Amino acid sequence: MRTILALASIAAFTGAVWAQAVDPTDRPQIVRADHPGQVIFERQCAPCHGSGPGVNGAAMLPGTAALAARYQGARPAELELRDDLTSAALRLFVRRGVGEMPAFRKSELTDSEIDAMAEYIAATADLNSQSAR
Amino acid sequence: MNAADFAAFLSELRSVAGADWVWSGEADMFPYRDSFSPVWNTQQERHASAAVAPADVEQVSQIVRIARRRRVPLYPISTGKNFGYGGPSPNVNGSVVIDLKRMNRVLEVNEPRAFALVEPGVSYFDLYRHIQDNGLKLMIDCPDPGWGSPIGNALERGIGYTMPYFRDHFGAHCGMEVVLPDGEVMRTGMGALPGAETWQEYPYGFGPDPSGLFAQGNFGIVTKMGFRLLPLPEHYRTGMITVPRRRDFVKLVEHVNYLSDSGLIGEVEYGSPLSALMSNPEFAALTTKRGGPSDAEMDAAASAAGLHSWQVELQILGPEAATLANWNFAKDRILLDIPGARAIAGEHFPLPATSEQLHHVEQPYRSRIKRHRSLGVPSLGEWQIVRDDGHVGFFPVMPRTGEAVFEAQRVLGDAMKEFPSLPAFFNALTTPLMWHTHTFQMVFAPSIKHDDAEHNAVTHAAMKKCVAVAAEHGWGDYRAAPIYQDDVANTYSFNNHILRRFHEQLKDSIDPDGIIAPGRGGIWPRRFRT
Repeated sequence: MRTILALASIAAFTGAVWAQAVDPTDRPQIVRADHPGQVIFERQCAPCHGSGPGVNGAAMLPGTAALAARYQGARPAELELRDDLTSAALRLFVRRGVGEMPAFRKSELTDSEIDAMAEYIAATADLNSQSAR
Repeated sequence: MNAADFAAFLSELRSVAGADWVWSGEADMFPYRDSFSPVWNTQQERHASAAVAPADVEQVSQIVRIARRRRVPLYPISTGKNFGYGGPSPNVNGSVVIDLKRMNRVLEVNEPRAFALVEPGVSYFDLYRHIQDNGLKLMIDCPDPGWGSPIGNALERGIGYTMPYFRDHFGAHCGMEVVLPDGEVMRTGMGALPGAETWQEYPYGFGPDPSGLFAQGNFGIVTKMGFRLLPLPEHYRTGMITVPRRRDFVKLVEHVNYLSDSGLIGEVEYGSPLSALMSNPEFAALTTKRGGPSDAEMDAAASAAGLHSWQVELQILGPEAATLANWNFAKDRILLDIPGARAIAGEHFPLPATSEQLHHVEQPYRSRIKRHRSLGVPSLGEWQIVRDDGHVGFFPVMPRTGEAVFEAQRVLGDAMKEFPSLPAFFNALTTPLMWHTHTFQMVFAPSIKHDDAEHNAVTHAAMKKCVAVAAEHGWGDYRAAPIYQDDVANTYSFNNHILRRFHEQLKDSIDPDGIIAPGRGGIWPRRFRT
C-alpha cells in the first residue's frame, strides 16, 4: 500500500494529474464589493484562493481546495465568502504562512494592503450573505 | 559585527531606502526563511539578519557601497519565490537580504521586435498582464508558479514549457544591467554601447560576454534584464503517439529529438500507459524491483493488460496549416519506423485560447499536458502538487536518450531504496522531462514537514545521496538550494575543480570583500575560505 500511495504522490508531482473536462464556469458566482482591496486580492490571493476552477482538471484552485478539505463545509472554502477574517487574522496567516502556503514579505504586501484586503473580504462576504438571504 | 555597528548599518540603509523599507527582528524576518527547507528549525537552517528593499538601481548601488564598507554580506532576491531551491533565504547566516520586489516596472515590451525589458520585482503575472492589457500579440514562457520573477527565474536557469529556444529562460535573455560589488553599474552586450537600440536583440556586444557569471553566481546584482518573446502563434495543436514495447522508447526519443531540434514541436510530455497498472501491487513491485525489471517482464505485463508501454504528447504552435502538416509529418515518421505505434489527434484551436480550452474541456484523451503553462499563461494552479509543507528538488541533467532513461531508472531507483519511507520517484515507468532544449532531466522532490524533523532528515540525506550517485554516472544537478550548493558544485570537479577555482579567482578579484551572496553557486570568497 505504501508503494501505491507513494506512486500517487509522484504522479502528482510529475504531472500525471490527468486533465479532464472541467466546466470552468461551474464554480460559485461571487458578487464582489467595489473596494480598493479587490485589486490587491485579485493579484495576491486569488491565483490560489480564488473561486474559479483549478488547472488541469482540478475543480478548485489549490488554496480553495485546501480550505475545502480542512473545513469540510463548516466554513466557506472561498476566502471572499469568509466573514471572520479580520485584519489581525489575515496578517497572521499572510506573515507566518500555513502549511504549503509560504509567508509573504512586507516588500510584496504591506500591512495597509492586508488591511484593505480584509475590508474587501468582509464587504464581499456581507454582500453575498445579503444576496443569499 | 556588534549590536551598535549593526544598528548603525541599519540606520544607513534606512537613510537610503527609507525607514519603511528596512526590516530586522524575528517577526519581519520570518517570511525571509525558506519555508520549504528540510533543515527547518535546525542548526543548519540559514537565517538572514535584516532586509532592505531599494526602489531603484541608484539605491541598490548605494546599499552595495555601504555593505562593502562595513563588509556585510548581501543576498539579493527578486520576487523571493524560489521555493524548492532555498526560497528567499541566504547561503550565509546574518546576511542582509537586498529585496528587489519594489523594483517592479515593466520598462518596455516591444511587439514588432518581440522583446521585453523588466526589473527584478516584476512577476510573470505582471508581465503577462502588461501584454494582455496592451493587446500585444506576444507569448511569454513561464514556469509553473506565476508569482516568480522572469529575472530571478532566468538567473536560476529556470525553465518553461513552450518552444525550445524560449524554455531555457537564461538562454532566452538578451542584455542585462548589473550593480557590481563596488557599486558600479554595468550593462552587458549592446547595453554597453551608448545610443545602441539593440540591447534586447544582440546579446554579445563586442569582446567577452560576462552575462553567464550572473546566473547562479555572486558577481553582482542584476537590476534589469531583457528577454526574447515568442510572437503569439496563430494556432495550437496536440497529438499523442504510443509505442507498444519497452525498448521502443529508444527510437521514440530519437524521433522526438529530431522533431524538436528541427523546430517542428514545442515541449513534449512523455508518459506510460502502464501507469494505470500501478494500483496492482504486483505490477508496482515489478517496476521498483532492485536492478530493474527486464524488457521481457515489462512487455509481458503490457501485453497482458493490452496496453502500450510508452506515450508522448506533442504540442505544435504555428499557423494552422503548418501545425497540421507538422503533426502529420511527426505521425508518419514515427508510425512508419516503429511497428505497432499508434497516433491519436488531440485538440487544436486558434490562439489566444478560451477559458474552456485552457481547461482541456474538449480534450479527446486523458492528457498530462498542463495547458496554462504550455500556452504561457501564468497561474498558481500548479501549487496543487505541493505536499506536506513543501519539497526540495533534484533534477539531474542527463543525455536525451532512451538508454540514459533506463539507466537512471535503475541506478537512482536502487540508490533510493536506502530511504524506504520516501516515494519511489525512480522506477521502471519514470519518464524524462524535456524542459531544457537538448537534455533530459528527471524529478526527485521529496517533501518536508515543519513539525517532523525525522522526516526532514530522511529527505535531506536522500537529497545528498541523489546528488552524489547521479554525479558518479555523469548526471549533474542543474539548480540547488543553498544548503546543497556546495555538494552540487563539488561534483563539477574536472581537473581538480578548476571551474570552481576559476570562479574563486574571479570572485576574489571582483568582490574582494566577499559581500555579494558568498557561497552562492558554491563560490566562496577568500575571507570565507580561510
